[in-house]
Amino acid sequence: MKKECVAMLLAGGQGSRLKALTRHVAKPAVPFGGKYRIIDFPLSNCVNSGIDTVGVLTQYRPLELNSYIGNGEPWDLDRSDGGVHILPPYLGENEEGSWYKGTANAIFQNINFIDQYDPDYVLILSGDHIYKMDYADMLLQHKRTGADLTIAVQEVPIEEASRMGIMNVDEDDKVYEFEEKPKKPKSNLASMGIYIFSWAKLRKYLIDDEKDEKSSNDFGKNIIPTMLGKGEHLHVYRFAGYWRDVGTIDSLWDANMDMLATDDGVNLFDDDWPIFARTPTQPPHYVGEDATIVHSLLTGGCSVEGEVEHSVLFHSVTVEPGASVKYSILMPGAVVRSGAKVDYSIVAEDAVIEAGAVVGSKPTGADDWGIAVVAGGVKVGKNATVAPAAMVTKNVKEGGKA
Amino acid sequence: MNNLHGLVFAYRSNKDLRELTQHRNTCSIPFGGRYRLVDFTLSSMVNAGITDIGLIVHSSYQSLLDHVGSGKDWDLSRKHGGLRILPPFGYADVISSDYYGRMDSLAGVRSYLENIRQDYVILAGGDLAANLPIQEIYEQHLATKADITTVVTCQNVGEPRSCTYLSSGPDGRVTDVFVHPKSPMGCESLEVYILSKQLLLSVVDHCTTHNIHSFSEGVILAMKDRLHIHTYEFGGYVGRFHTVGAYYEHSMELLDPAVRASLFDPRFPIKTKDQSNPSTYYGLEAHTVDSLIADGCKVEGEVDHCILFRGVTVEKGARLSHCILFQGTHVGAGATLQYAITDKDVLINPGRMLMGHESYPIAIAKRSQV
Repeated sequence: MKKECVAMLLAGGQGSRLKALTRHVAKPAVPFGGKYRIIDFPLSNCVNSGIDTVGVLTQYRPLELNSYIGNGEPWDLDRSDGGVHILPPYLGENEEGSWYKGTANAIFQNINFIDQYDPDYVLILSGDHIYKMDYADMLLQHKRTGADLTIAVQEVPIEEASRMGIMNVDEDDKVYEFEEKPKKPKSNLASMGIYIFSWAKLRKYLIDDEKDEKSSNDFGKNIIPTMLGKGEHLHVYRFAGYWRDVGTIDSLWDANMDMLATDDGVNLFDDDWPIFARTPTQPPHYVGEDATIVHSLLTGGCSVEGEVEHSVLFHSVTVEPGASVKYSILMPGAVVRSGAKVDYSIVAEDAVIEAGAVVGSKPTGADDWGIAVVAGGVKVGKNATVAPAAMVTKNVKEGGKA
Repeated sequence: MNNLHGLVFAYRSNKDLRELTQHRNTCSIPFGGRYRLVDFTLSSMVNAGITDIGLIVHSSYQSLLDHVGSGKDWDLSRKHGGLRILPPFGYADVISSDYYGRMDSLAGVRSYLENIRQDYVILAGGDLAANLPIQEIYEQHLATKADITTVVTCQNVGEPRSCTYLSSGPDGRVTDVFVHPKSPMGCESLEVYILSKQLLLSVVDHCTTHNIHSFSEGVILAMKDRLHIHTYEFGGYVGRFHTVGAYYEHSMELLDPAVRASLFDPRFPIKTKDQSNPSTYYGLEAHTVDSLIADGCKVEGEVDHCILFRGVTVEKGARLSHCILFQGTHVGAGATLQYAITDKDVLINPGRMLMGHESYPIAIAKRSQV
């Protein structure tokens, strides 16, 4: 059946800067905010914006992401007409096809998928940002301006502009120039990697781009500059709300800490724009008799008998009596045993911090700033020490240092 | 997949539950921070590999229907089999008024019983808080070649006047039945039975023609000598809910880790309706101890020895101790509550004080404002 707008979510990112956290999962499947994974944000935005057909392009370590998305039921995307579809790369006739070479190539390889719905517009999203956005409003602007491509942008401090893709616009917000990481930025409008294309136009440019052997088949590097060069109408859509890239350990930690300010940023408690997630049914969490929990997020299956401050705990986390967890993120199933101290750290799924171990520490200034990361399933032995900013991917033996 | 069909009696309304059953029947009473009582029986059945379940309802079942929906949260939304809601079949000369007992309700769904595709049926109330090992009970039923297997607990958890007790010989065979005695005698029947579909149909017909309403009396008591009725003793935690006091007591038992371990065994998870709440946020001045707290709450005040359901707000300076707060309860700044049960969406205005007692916790009805 025809759809006005189909969303394509690029979820193949390796997320190599998240290192230990993406050893087994693609970046969009990294846990976030106590109950979610990063991909829940764009997926929930789609559903809340009335977009019911979403293609999720996967490539890197897709197993966990595939089973997480499943039939799309948690997002109401289990539909007989539309719904969510996982789109891995595939080989066709005469072994045509390949791994997704670039963002544009990923969409190119799925032209047939999009054509099934004969959409007027295609929304391109990525799976590595935390934000709430009404794509319907962006689409409305796209239709009103008659643009061929609308790019969501956010004003950033000018000193940060030289690290981003910058849109230079005229007084009508029409784009006349696109600069990737400009040394001397002319504007502070940074691309958020969210595009609405008129499908007929994009389809043509994808096919042309594919013929160009020199192209790296990327939206930012190839498609957008080519469209600009050909005089197509590119418009920006200004977005002023909370939006964070969570591509690095520091930014992931930071954005998790932002979730503790429940009334600003992304308000997870807002019933009008819920973020949906697939979560296992866990009993309510238990807070013990000597527990202290301050300025923190907790969820089902946790048991806290120690001290938790300024932290985000995912489901089924255990904090034993006398243990202390501060300014940290504990992913599902993590265990902190008696007397252990966890500060400024990310402890990944099912990792165990044994009694008396010390993981990370409170920074005294910029010099010793750093988030310690304990990878999934790793055991930090009794009385062992994990230094700030350390990345631990192997067990640390009793009394050891890492 | 096994050869067992589930039938859940989900119509009981117990008047001694006062405000808690004003808007719902006993099976949909919220319990344990995020569950409804019916979740325990449904999940126990599903965890035993039962794929077809009939839920017999009678009155005030809107809240129950809203909760179970299509059954998808228990993987019971199926093309073939799955969950069937069985309301009273209210015309012709079949029962249209209240069910006096289980036999009436079974007679009311007789045509459904005939179409059951499994050879065995398990009958259970939807108002028990227990994680029953149904697979094991079923295997015992087959091994003993009993006509009926009935599940008992020897811990005496219910109100004797509302319970049936069984005594059994060393071989486990039922020897005597005590219906609603003044004080407990023998082991308490949980009124959970496994029997063959054929036997079920024949006892339903027998009881209908003899105007017998009760399964315990009409089948277990009357046929104990004719049939081989075997007990299965369940040693795990059981909560039964005949009065507000019992409800309060059983709820507070959940603060005991051993009780939680029995009821929430991770190998046999209790499933419930998914609601996509965010995590619970504890504020800078929050002080919470010895409590069970569901998702989506905002806690800024003091909470001691309490159970908070989903989406509860406790403002700064509010003090709660020994309370059970249902979904959406809002406690204003500086309010004090002790030994209180607040139903869904109750609003306690700032500074209010409510004190019940352990022996008589006060229950505040749904959507009340204090």
